[in-house]
Amino acid sequence: MDYDALLNMGTELGYQLMYSGAEIYRVEESVRRLLTAYGLQPQVFAIPNCLIVSVNTPAGHPITQMRRIPAHGTDIELLERCNGLCRRLCREVPPLEEAKAQVDALGKERHLYSNWVFLLGYVGASAFFCAFFGGDALDSIYAGICGLAVGLWLLYAGPYFNLNSFVTTLFGAAIASLAALGLVGLTPGQNLDAVTIGTLMLLVPGRALTNAMWEIMAGDIISGVNRTAEALLTAAAIALGVVVALAIGQ
Amino acid sequence: MELLQEFFFPCLWAFLASVAFGLVYNIHGGGILICGLGGGLGWFVYLAAQRWNAGTILAAFVAAAAIAVFSECMARLRRCPVTGYLQVALLPLVPGSGIYYAMRHCVAGETQLFLSTLFNTLGMAASLAVGAMLASAVVRILLTRLPQKHREHP
Repeated sequence: MDYDALLNMGTELGYQLMYSGAEIYRVEESVRRLLTAYGLQPQVFAIPNCLIVSVNTPAGHPITQMRRIPAHGTDIELLERCNGLCRRLCREVPPLEEAKAQVDALGKERHLYSNWVFLLGYVGASAFFCAFFGGDALDSIYAGICGLAVGLWLLYAGPYFNLNSFVTTLFGAAIASLAALGLVGLTPGQNLDAVTIGTLMLLVPGRALTNAMWEIMAGDIISGVNRTAEALLTAAAIALGVVVALAIGQ
Repeated sequence: MELLQEFFFPCLWAFLASVAFGLVYNIHGGGILICGLGGGLGWFVYLAAQRWNAGTILAAFVAAAAIAVFSECMARLRRCPVTGYLQVALLPLVPGSGIYYAMRHCVAGETQLFLSTLFNTLGMAASLAVGAMLASAVVRILLTRLPQKHREHP
């Protein structure tokens, strides 16, 4: 059997899982099960931006691969596809070439929504969150416009300027509260707090918070602390962005 | 009518906002409605707990636990990873308003209010995490134990 190809396949599956935002436990367990199904005894280690897989061939020759995971968002569709494929491969154990082609296809054909659907998501989420925090219909429309601005920033400007997530969130929060200030200034008497909070909900570290407790529950303390720090830093970035806008507004 | 105002509309908004957030997280198909239902359910539990005179932190704990149980069951039913549903459904409870109000007090120079809002926000985030963690740990223990018992005593 071609052990190099087998190791590449396992690492690629782990990489795609990490990239889709899966928790560390799932990544390590999936790669371990997949390679075990093909008759190896792999050692897998992952932290949020690094994946190391090591196996010993039956001849006793150790081979190791390390992949660095770039900054990524959440892609639940890819996560479900990886999970389903891993289950199927472990159950059926098809020939290596066939399995490798299927794993390689995971990253090539991403079923991402087109950008306008993402923007619709941002607009809808901020508008409904505004209503949720006590805004009326006009407030929700304003929040939708602010959400559009933040969505455009997150989708286009952040990747274009190649910013890290802290700076992206900081500017996103500043844009959200400045846009809210400007729009509410147009028609006095609107609910500034609801518009601003509704838009800020797009940036809150819900994902980092959920992931953090998930890692801690699974016993991956290093990753758990890492994600907790990520959540706190994101919250701090939001706070800084809001402070800038509020100071200008005063 | 009062109940409608107090319970139905906030839960509806939470449902719709969670569905919209499902689009942002690239969730396809029926899973997106499950996320929405989780968000609405969580907010309903939160409001109901507050009605029974629970503080915000206890209410967030109970609501997070309810969402976790719901998400675990849905993940078992649909044979999908639980994290996606949980991440989206917990969002309405994440204290974004706390961060904003704390910073407003900070800019206005109201130190006491700033600190109390800040600690309330941190407490709420922690109780969300702990509530969801404990509930899903319990569900996992129960769901993996039950089939084994059936096997032992057929």
